[in-house]
Amino acid sequence: METSSQSVSYLLQRWSGGDRAALDQLLPLVYDELHRMARRYMQQQPDGHTLQTTALIHEAYLRLMGQEEKYWENRAHFFGVAAQAMRHILVDYARARQTAKRGGEARTVTLEEAVFVSDERAAEVVALDDALVELARLAPRQSSVVELRYFGGLSVTEIAEVLQVSTDTVTRDWNQAKAWLYRALNRRD
Amino acid sequence: MTSEQYEKIGQLYHAALERAPTERAAFLAEACGADKVLHNEVVSLLAAHAQASTFIERLPDDLAAGWQAAAIALPKQSFSHYRMLSPLGQGGMGEVWLAEDTQLGRKVAVKLLPTEFTHEAERVRRFAQEARAASALNHPNIITIHEIGQTEDTHYIVTEYVEGETLRQRMTQQQLQPITALELATQIATALTAAHEAGIIHRDIKPENVMVRRDGIVKVLDFGLAKLTETAPHGTDSQASTLVKNSTASGMVMGTPRYMSPEQARGEKVDERTDIFSLGVMLYEMLAGRAPFAGATTSEVIAAILRDSPPPLAETAPATPPVLERIICQALCKDRVERHQTAKDLLADLQQLKKRLEFDVEMKQELEPSRSAELLRLPAETEPKVFKTKTRISIAVLVVLLIGAIGLGAYFLSAGKKSLSAVGKKSLAVLPFVNASQDPNAEYLSDGITESVINNLSQLAGLKVMSRNSAFRFKNHQTDPRNIAAQLGVEALITGDIKQLGDKFIINVRLIDASDDSQIWGQQYVKTSGDVIAAQNEIAQAVANNLRLKLTASEQKRLAKNYTENAEAYQLYLRGRFHVFKLTPPEVSQGIAYFQQAIALDQNYALAYAGLAEAYRSLALGAEMLPAEFLPKSRAAANKAIEIDEAFSEGHGALGASLFWEWQWVEAENQLKRAIELSPRDTNAHIFYAHLLSNTGRHTEALAEAKRARELDPLFPFVNALEGQFLLHAGRTDEALTRLQKTFDLAPNFWMPHLFASSVYIEKGLYAEAVMEAHKARELSPAQTFSMSCESYALAKSGKPAEAHAVLHDLTKLSNERWVPPYNFALILNGLGEKDEAFVWLERAFQQHDPKMTFLKVEPKWNNLHGDPRFQSLLRRVGFIA
Repeated sequence: METSSQSVSYLLQRWSGGDRAALDQLLPLVYDELHRMARRYMQQQPDGHTLQTTALIHEAYLRLMGQEEKYWENRAHFFGVAAQAMRHILVDYARARQTAKRGGEARTVTLEEAVFVSDERAAEVVALDDALVELARLAPRQSSVVELRYFGGLSVTEIAEVLQVSTDTVTRDWNQAKAWLYRALNRRD
Repeated sequence: MTSEQYEKIGQLYHAALERAPTERAAFLAEACGADKVLHNEVVSLLAAHAQASTFIERLPDDLAAGWQAAAIALPKQSFSHYRMLSPLGQGGMGEVWLAEDTQLGRKVAVKLLPTEFTHEAERVRRFAQEARAASALNHPNIITIHEIGQTEDTHYIVTEYVEGETLRQRMTQQQLQPITALELATQIATALTAAHEAGIIHRDIKPENVMVRRDGIVKVLDFGLAKLTETAPHGTDSQASTLVKNSTASGMVMGTPRYMSPEQARGEKVDERTDIFSLGVMLYEMLAGRAPFAGATTSEVIAAILRDSPPPLAETAPATPPVLERIICQALCKDRVERHQTAKDLLADLQQLKKRLEFDVEMKQELEPSRSAELLRLPAETEPKVFKTKTRISIAVLVVLLIGAIGLGAYFLSAGKKSLSAVGKKSLAVLPFVNASQDPNAEYLSDGITESVINNLSQLAGLKVMSRNSAFRFKNHQTDPRNIAAQLGVEALITGDIKQLGDKFIINVRLIDASDDSQIWGQQYVKTSGDVIAAQNEIAQAVANNLRLKLTASEQKRLAKNYTENAEAYQLYLRGRFHVFKLTPPEVSQGIAYFQQAIALDQNYALAYAGLAEAYRSLALGAEMLPAEFLPKSRAAANKAIEIDEAFSEGHGALGASLFWEWQWVEAENQLKRAIELSPRDTNAHIFYAHLLSNTGRHTEALAEAKRARELDPLFPFVNALEGQFLLHAGRTDEALTRLQKTFDLAPNFWMPHLFASSVYIEKGLYAEAVMEAHKARELSPAQTFSMSCESYALAKSGKPAEAHAVLHDLTKLSNERWVPPYNFALILNGLGEKDEAFVWLERAFQQHDPKMTFLKVEPKWNNLHGDPRFQSLLRRVGFIA
């Protein structure tokens, strides 16, 4: 089922206007589109070439919103949603990989995957996700900044737009959150 | 850490970064002053900053690539209403994917069947029929099938997603202890019993088909699936080679022949006894760490199954009780006539042995506490049957038997019948767990675990959990569960019992559908005292799962929350709670001592601080013990709890209550509102907020809050009684009496409603009744003296000054021995018409910071003094007038 770009655009406006329910409807749309794209792209690229995170999100944007989105704010907010969807996808995937790795005979990790992802990376992303939950309690905005930048590949300017704060604030948030998360992950071990 | 602290750390961190590295130490030393914690946090964050240069700067493109590579393997990124999330496993029976059911918003497992097995429509039909039949048993140890369906080219099965590991994974990690292996085998046998009784044979019991959840619950997978792959029976004269050839030809008819029964290996028609053999093989392997019939090739393995006896367990797993070895030997008999004839027989043997092992632990520990390590070894000459006739069968065992029997009967919610209110909130009460230990002192633990489970489940927005206060009314009640559920207005009940055996706690829990008394779920947990904390989380988690609650990530987190990781501190806390709930001053003091010990072990135990705050408050108010000493202690403990965890609602509630009695109106209100905001279903916060509103004269709001508290906790006498008092404050005496009458019915021996009724009768001019009720309250609770005030006041008002003076005399005598609230003297003197003297005592009450002064504004017995400037002055000084 194709989703009309108007409805996405409308939901984004509602969300940026503070309607939480709109986000609940948006997330699955973006989530599905990311899946659909990844699959389509991989099928067209038999050499195993994959898209980078940012490229994935930009492709999804183009497909869902079309070239003609008038509102810059909508673009920023779309990336905000996409970053959340990417976080879900990648963390779920990393967790599943960890489980698969632990399991004796169950062979779930394909050769291709093994080429791309190290176990350390999967573990790091899972730990990061946990730490972000804790950070969200202490400083919700800092947690959002990390989500948007790390999982969504947004620039500082774009993040400032999504969160409606200055770029200086974004930089400061990123700086403290990074140190805090680094410490949280290294204590964990 | 609180968000305020985090922000503070951030400010200093950035300020330090703006300075040259060499200047930072001096800057921080000055900025942090004596606050060592703050200083250390900033310094450690700066150190992390220095090391974190490339950390998370690179996007997780590698992970995204891996995910994309995995996505290609999907037949469709989603079909029907399932969205594929990630691969779970791959085997001969096809790929298994973790998927999301987008209609119901739950995670499921989707198994895609290879086309080579699905081209025969008849075979697929038979498989589907059998798989559905097994799932329809709704057995807790059999995986639930949600759907068997087909897209254009692929057949698929959607089942519940079991988070955990396969028995294979579990065995690979370690050789299992006999008690663990027995526990797992018992659950598998329970599943097989139910299936066999319904005429369903599994045919492919193996460790890959058994999932062990984190909470220890076993789920048997893939009932009926063997129907797809098995070759047609050949009759008894077939040769093993037939099947060997067959299985190698297709590559994996059974994946591995190691768990096949001899008759299966020969390609004969099989019956339920084939599953018994396979379970025997697994049980052997769990204990020995290797399969009983080994071989380098498929045909060697099959030859061993048909011919060899397994190596004795005494060699490979010497800790195995001989009785267990005998059970396994019988299950592994080549001739199925010699095996257990039904899964039920096997189950009975396993259960009996399990019981014995638990008993042995207990008895040996009573006799020789030091030699507990050898306990699981049983003397060979004792027959299990002997035990059955012994008289010493404790309640715990009866409960185990009972649960076992329910397990055999199987049948929890049957398919399509119903589930607890599919729409809207589900409601549930956790009834006090029964202390099944012989030691009555272990009651603190059964009460405590109950309370912990209530607290954990109360964190879930989708679930209405009856509070402790109302649920505990049914402690030791024999009432029928349906009746209890009706009184509490809930759809489901949790019941349980705890028995201590040596250093093990055996906790049985059942989740009951109150509409028909059927069991939705049941589970036994065996915990050492070191990991008893985990039990509350596992139980809460299992209940949430079995009620099919959809939890948010943060709820998931809160559900798993422990306030301490220190098992000893946890148990000390539970002991403390147990004593505090007894309410008498010596018990409360004992409780305080336990809380302090708990805190000594874990300085960050917020819950223990909240308990401490409540206990001190109870001494100051209920027992009228030096409020000037105990209220500040209460406040300090509550502050400490909040300092540890700002988002801890009980901390704010306790602080608000203390501040209220200390006349700190504004701050008390802020704290109570914060508590309600954090935990909207917290009865205590609502009722104290109502108290504050009532005592400051905001009656409409007060009564609304009190009503809310009562709705949350309908059977809690305290809440009902206070509502009566607030109605009195609002001048609604008839309604007050009605409410207090209801409280009498709830708790005939509770002093509070009698005391409040006395006041209501005074307002109505019914002094004889007032005297009687006050006297009753005094009898029921000698520690508080307000009942003497009321009695004396009513006597004075009814023209019996001599009797009123006699009570006053008693009170004066008492005040030589202990502190008596001056306010209570003032009230009597006012009743006797000695106005000036009454003001002298009120002034004392003010000087001594008497908590009773919080009633000054709304207590109708002062109405005659309102015009007096001295009274207005007091009202101002206590903070009622700005």
